[in-house]
Amino acid sequence: MNGLTLTMPIAMILGAIVILTLCAALSVKYRDVGLIGAIVAILLGFVAVTSANPELIYYSAFVLAISLINLASLKTIKSVIQGVDFCLVGLMALVTLYIFSTQDLALILAAFVLVSVPTYILVMARERGANVEVGIKYITFMVLATILFLIGAILLVYTKNAYNDLLYILGYVMLVLGLSIEVGVAPLHEWVPDVFSSADPIPLSIIASLAKIVPFVIALKILLSTVGPLTVTLSLFTAVLAAISMFTGNIGALTSKEPARVLAYSTVANMGYVLACLVVIAKPEFFYFALTGALLMLFANAAGKIGFFNAIKNRGAFSPLLYLLAFSFIGLPPLMGFWGKLFILFSLIKAEYVWLVALMVINSAISVPYYLRLARELGVGWKASLTDFICIATVILIVVTFLPDWFYKGMEVIAQTVSIAI
Amino acid sequence: MNEWIVFLLLFLAPVIASVPIALAYKSKALTEKLPVLSVLGIFVSVIMSLYILLTFPENTQYSYPWIPELGINFVFMVDYLSMFMGVVTALIAFFIGIYGLDYMKGDYRPSWYWFFFNLFTASMLLVVYSDNLFLLFVGWEGLGAASWGLIGHWFRDDDDIAYVGREGRKVGPLLLHWPPSFGGWRAISTIRFGDVPMFFALGAIWALAVNELGEPTLNISEIAWGSLFTTIGAAGTIILFVALLMGLFTKSAQVPFCEWLMTAMTGPTTVSALLHSATMVAAGAFVFIKLTWYIQPWHLHGVPGLEFVYTFVLFIGLLSGLYGALAGSGMHERKVLLAASTMSSIGLMFAAAAASFWIHEEVAHMNLALLVAFWYMAVHAFAKASLFLVAGHLIHATHSRFLNGGREFARKMTPAFIVTIIATTFLVGMPPLTAYWVKSGMDEVMELLHHHFGLIPIVLLVLTSLVYAGVLAKFLSLNFLKGEKPHHEHTEGGTLMKVGYILMVSVLFVLIALIFIREEAAGFVHAGFVETSIIVGLLIFLAYIVGLAKPQIAVLSKLGTFFSDRMYLPFLNDYIVPKIGFAIAAFVQNYGNRAIDGFFNTRVIPGLFKGISRGIRGIQTGLLSRYVNIVLGLVLVLLILFSVGGVWL
Repeated sequence: MNGLTLTMPIAMILGAIVILTLCAALSVKYRDVGLIGAIVAILLGFVAVTSANPELIYYSAFVLAISLINLASLKTIKSVIQGVDFCLVGLMALVTLYIFSTQDLALILAAFVLVSVPTYILVMARERGANVEVGIKYITFMVLATILFLIGAILLVYTKNAYNDLLYILGYVMLVLGLSIEVGVAPLHEWVPDVFSSADPIPLSIIASLAKIVPFVIALKILLSTVGPLTVTLSLFTAVLAAISMFTGNIGALTSKEPARVLAYSTVANMGYVLACLVVIAKPEFFYFALTGALLMLFANAAGKIGFFNAIKNRGAFSPLLYLLAFSFIGLPPLMGFWGKLFILFSLIKAEYVWLVALMVINSAISVPYYLRLARELGVGWKASLTDFICIATVILIVVTFLPDWFYKGMEVIAQTVSIAI
Repeated sequence: MNEWIVFLLLFLAPVIASVPIALAYKSKALTEKLPVLSVLGIFVSVIMSLYILLTFPENTQYSYPWIPELGINFVFMVDYLSMFMGVVTALIAFFIGIYGLDYMKGDYRPSWYWFFFNLFTASMLLVVYSDNLFLLFVGWEGLGAASWGLIGHWFRDDDDIAYVGREGRKVGPLLLHWPPSFGGWRAISTIRFGDVPMFFALGAIWALAVNELGEPTLNISEIAWGSLFTTIGAAGTIILFVALLMGLFTKSAQVPFCEWLMTAMTGPTTVSALLHSATMVAAGAFVFIKLTWYIQPWHLHGVPGLEFVYTFVLFIGLLSGLYGALAGSGMHERKVLLAASTMSSIGLMFAAAAASFWIHEEVAHMNLALLVAFWYMAVHAFAKASLFLVAGHLIHATHSRFLNGGREFARKMTPAFIVTIIATTFLVGMPPLTAYWVKSGMDEVMELLHHHFGLIPIVLLVLTSLVYAGVLAKFLSLNFLKGEKPHHEHTEGGTLMKVGYILMVSVLFVLIALIFIREEAAGFVHAGFVETSIIVGLLIFLAYIVGLAKPQIAVLSKLGTFFSDRMYLPFLNDYIVPKIGFAIAAFVQNYGNRAIDGFFNTRVIPGLFKGISRGIRGIQTGLLSRYVNIVLGLVLVLLILFSVGGVWL
């Protein structure tokens, strides 16, 4: 973009950021100011993004819903950082809303950092004091991930203009590895079980839901924009990584005892499913399928994790709701989890990775026991607490796509504009 | 043009007439009145079969489509065999139905009985008239199902009168005392054992058989049998035929499959009369005669393998004849004695039909041997059925299934006495009564085989006939002349029963008249006047008198016990074969099922999952340094690998 034309949407976003900053500062004293500020900012961002690109309305609506539910769940704890946690979530939500609206490389790379760093603070948030050990473990890995990702991204972008085989390979591998460490893909997933079982469940629900969306979108954008002759060969590496992650996550969860650890391994597995979408870069004409699948999978994962982590925090939630969330994870139609997996499988078949399809189906079957066990262990009767209402909200999210064609029609359009201006 | 109505009524009238009583099984009042309706249904079949006999043109085929793509259609053939056999079957069923109205009064499940009784009649008629092999098999299976249902009719096993064998009689590990439920099981399991190879044989015929024009067909009268046998060669013909014969032999209780027929006497006597003397057991022989009628093996002498098959049938038939007669001579029970003699007669029918391979003689354009077999079947049917009905009445009257009754008893049961005299004398083959002429035809047929087999067939036949005569004489004697006095006597009533067996036996007179009137029976008459036939006939007469005078010979009692234990053949059915079966089942369970179960459900795969899961969780030791080592190590290794690979490319 040449110059900065101050259009209405841009102004709204800037305004949102200003509000967020002010309220964050004030919320150290008055907690609820942070909450109000975050909500206002997110709404502003929503309006801005959808007025600029109307076809993004469904995506933005989902992100809005997830972030509002995250804010609601933050209400149940009184963390050391008072109201700042609300504003951190607001920032992450704003970035997630905005990521599809820009094609500027610098902004996109900044977005990665903007979504990652708030989580460093959130993971340490607890009711009494800060959880520093978890923070150290988490931050160590996240920094490594950020470095690898950023260097890989820049290498890839460089090869777009001055192609070099070695640089492309290095860039691709570093990007994918960085992404893997960031979201928790096996065999680089070692931080996930430990962090998930030690940190407080509520901030974890945010990390496990909202923070996973942007890294994938950025990786998809960069890879799609820098496709080269070696992409097809290298996608085999991604596929193998995805397969390892799926199996590690699912089999590891089978005998885990604590619910939080089960959810950790579930995350590893789900991130494996989404990583598989990256192999479809080689077939651009089916890319929108993969994009739909990845987003649906991420949203379903988000909704489910929020529900379960809230249930853990509150020592139980209304049983049928938890079972529905479990069914969504397993991939039972017509819930969102099913549609996500279906689209990913479709796109993989088009990309001629049939073996990966078979492995993914087998993994869906392997995942059944532990999700049901989770729902059974955490399910209790109706208590009309905030947790139950949060769970209702997440269930509504996963049920609303029982016929998702409206969503993927939108994605078809978005997929055209997803590349970066390099 | 409307023949299909006739066929429809013929087959469906008995079944439909039994639906009301089957549905009304809960109401005692209705089930007491509805059997008449069932018998009326059979009467309709009688009328239809007579109509077919008297008005339909001979050797005509009637075809109605069913699954034309597979060659399976409703194809009926009205030829010499089916015209007459249809009337025989329907008449016998009708008379026994009348008898059954009295005999089965007060039974605890009449609905079951009448439903299966009529189902049986319809199935047998289907077997008789069907030209399509698959349709025949449908009827065949119906016979088996009805047989199981009817033999095990008194399934509660609550009255010893329905058992077979002496209570407490043990030979080695085997208890020779069988209840009705077990009798039904033995019947269906033996028949099933034979039906499966038969089904495979039919499948093979379906796949291979073509008619004269080369089109595939399943209709017996159309198949080009000669070319079929030549195509599959000697081994193929033998395997095909032996598989087919398994079905025929098991159904007709030939050696070694005859045990089920003996214990089938646990069923009501009407069942024994209809199924196990006249129709069902004859079905095997009938199908063999029918097949041979169209195969015309006397023209196919060049076909390899066919001679072996027919020799096989000839000797199985003769051996069964001898076995049956000998076993019958040692029997203590009325019905089992008759059953053994039935098995003997059917053996002779098979033997005579098989002899047609070497016999070129024709009477009225029909093969003499086949005519002999068929006429013997008809005579035997009516005579044996009458004897069974009498036996049933005697069982009712004396409340005992064993042979007992003296002269005084005979006076009280005069109709039964007279019918027995008529039936036995007309059946054993003493001149100049009905069976004599047919038996003489049989003698001639066996004699004509002496070019190929010497004197063995004729000797076996004569021996069998002599023992047979003695056996039937024993039946007459021990029931009405020299038997011990019965413990109970209940000789009043039973009018319909008497009507039943009187009607049945009177047909024997019709038959002897037919022998002298019909053109094709001229061969029998001619044979009857041959020297050897007269001598054999007189010998039979002598054997009969001896049997009457001395029905039990004390000196031969050890031999008699051997015969009454049926030469230990029950061991095959109740000991040897079950042991093999249980061994196979145990093997499959211990090495098959448990292995599969252990692999998938309990041991191997769950163990694998557990191990791998523990391994994955074992990576999490909690030490950050360890994690960093792993991650950094992997990243560096991968980067180096890929860069080396990149440089190489």
